[in-house]
Amino acid sequence: MVSYIGKFVIDYLKWICGIFALLMDILYWIFLGPFKGKFSHRESITHQMVFVGVRSIIIVFFVDIFTGIVIAMQTAPQLEKMGAVMYVASLVAIAICRELSPVLTALVVAGRVGSAIAAELGTMKVSEQIEALDTMAINPTRFLAVPRFLALLFMLPCLTILGDLAGILGGYIVGTASLKINPDLYIQTTFKFLKFKDIYTGLIKSAVFAIIIALIGCFEGLNTRGGAEGVGRGTTRSVVISFILIILGDCVITAIFYFSNV
Amino acid sequence: MSQPIISLRNVSKVFQGKKIIDNVNLDIFPGETFVIMGCSGSGKSTLLRLMTGAIKPNEGSVIIKGKDIAKISSEELDEVKRSFGMCFQYSALLDSLTVQENIELPIREHTKLADEITEIIIKMKLSLVGLRGYEHYYPSQISGGMRKRVGLARAIALDPDIVFYDEPTSGLDPVVGGVIGHLIKDLSVKLAITSVVVTHDMQSVFAIGDRIAMVHKGQIVEVGTSEEIRNSRNPFIQQFINGKPEGPIDFFKEDIGIIEALGL
Repeated sequence: MVSYIGKFVIDYLKWICGIFALLMDILYWIFLGPFKGKFSHRESITHQMVFVGVRSIIIVFFVDIFTGIVIAMQTAPQLEKMGAVMYVASLVAIAICRELSPVLTALVVAGRVGSAIAAELGTMKVSEQIEALDTMAINPTRFLAVPRFLALLFMLPCLTILGDLAGILGGYIVGTASLKINPDLYIQTTFKFLKFKDIYTGLIKSAVFAIIIALIGCFEGLNTRGGAEGVGRGTTRSVVISFILIILGDCVITAIFYFSNV
Repeated sequence: MSQPIISLRNVSKVFQGKKIIDNVNLDIFPGETFVIMGCSGSGKSTLLRLMTGAIKPNEGSVIIKGKDIAKISSEELDEVKRSFGMCFQYSALLDSLTVQENIELPIREHTKLADEITEIIIKMKLSLVGLRGYEHYYPSQISGGMRKRVGLARAIALDPDIVFYDEPTSGLDPVVGGVIGHLIKDLSVKLAITSVVVTHDMQSVFAIGDRIAMVHKGQIVEVGTSEEIRNSRNPFIQQFINGKPEGPIDFFKEDIGIIEALGL
């Protein structure tokens, strides 16, 4: 039992060290690589941005608009009892921008993109494609991980902004159509209470989530072993670990903002 | 004789407590086609990976063009890697890239050649392997033999001094296998390349090898020319060449009896 716990702890520490080493490697190739004449391919980054961002627009839009609708419908009866139904607008906007849009968008992208990254890189690993890159003196981290990391870091906050707008639109639909709040008053109330910090704290969260999704997806993919079964295991692990770390990261960041009064 | 282009000195490699390569000494000379043959699991692919720098030895030195690749920095190792190409057992072409993009990759990464010149080089390399006209195909759209030839074109894209081949004819029919073997020999002569071929395909061993080494249980059993190996009296080599189940190469683990294996 003791040896089992010891092995588990050692494996876990090795995993953390591996993730940290990958992050350092990615940062090295982003900031120092260009000074050695080693750039990441622009086409590759653009290709990944399209995959991460453009192809996630519809799913993110629907997830966030429905979340906005649900929050409005769930909170309206409570606020109505206090005669404050028009505050549904600000409640939806703040909840979406500060919390729900960053987290839900990150979870959607972790499921869609993080898994695809782990599966693609894992397949490349087991079919010797990564080794082939290495033999050609092409660093796999620079060639494969950096474009995905940059694409996620740029596109996830963009998707989060889209999610913010979609969530607010969802609340607006319920507020104006069902709760009969005047459309102008709804919009005024939304922006009266929604502060810039509500938006940028959400965007900071989404940037951290992007780093989590990229690192876990790339690490699990690049460290895949054992053929098709290994690819499946790596893909599942990347999604599960990303989900857990996103929720955990959200809790930590929210606590930091809470205690520093941001 | 000239200086060896590849030298292995007392090289050993251990995986999970098991010695896969055991104190190997080997010299490969410029321009020759050197074949490493042996049974599955004998350590020949590990030997190849030690030579390409994919893995590092636990003991000894792997010297390529005068540099011990186990002891140099990653930048220096990259420099050495640029002077060789490798043909993988399953081609290892990047699935997301076309045939042209796969061959283009090392050229784009390591040179600053203009697009027009790169395109000419790609056409030349594809001509050498007989695949002109397949530039825009994806690896999934071509046959196994064609993928091997594209892998070969990619390996010679930067005009390397050395090309390593890992089981170049495995999984191919005898005719295509013969074509690949002929291509390896042909390219070695035309481009003055040193070829190191790992295989257990006896047809190609004698067809392409200038010198042949037999590996068994991580050790070099014998090194010699095709003729010397063919006429060798070494029982390991005779059993391997003739494919006999009886002989010193034990396929089954004879040291574990049924009773011991069952723990009775």
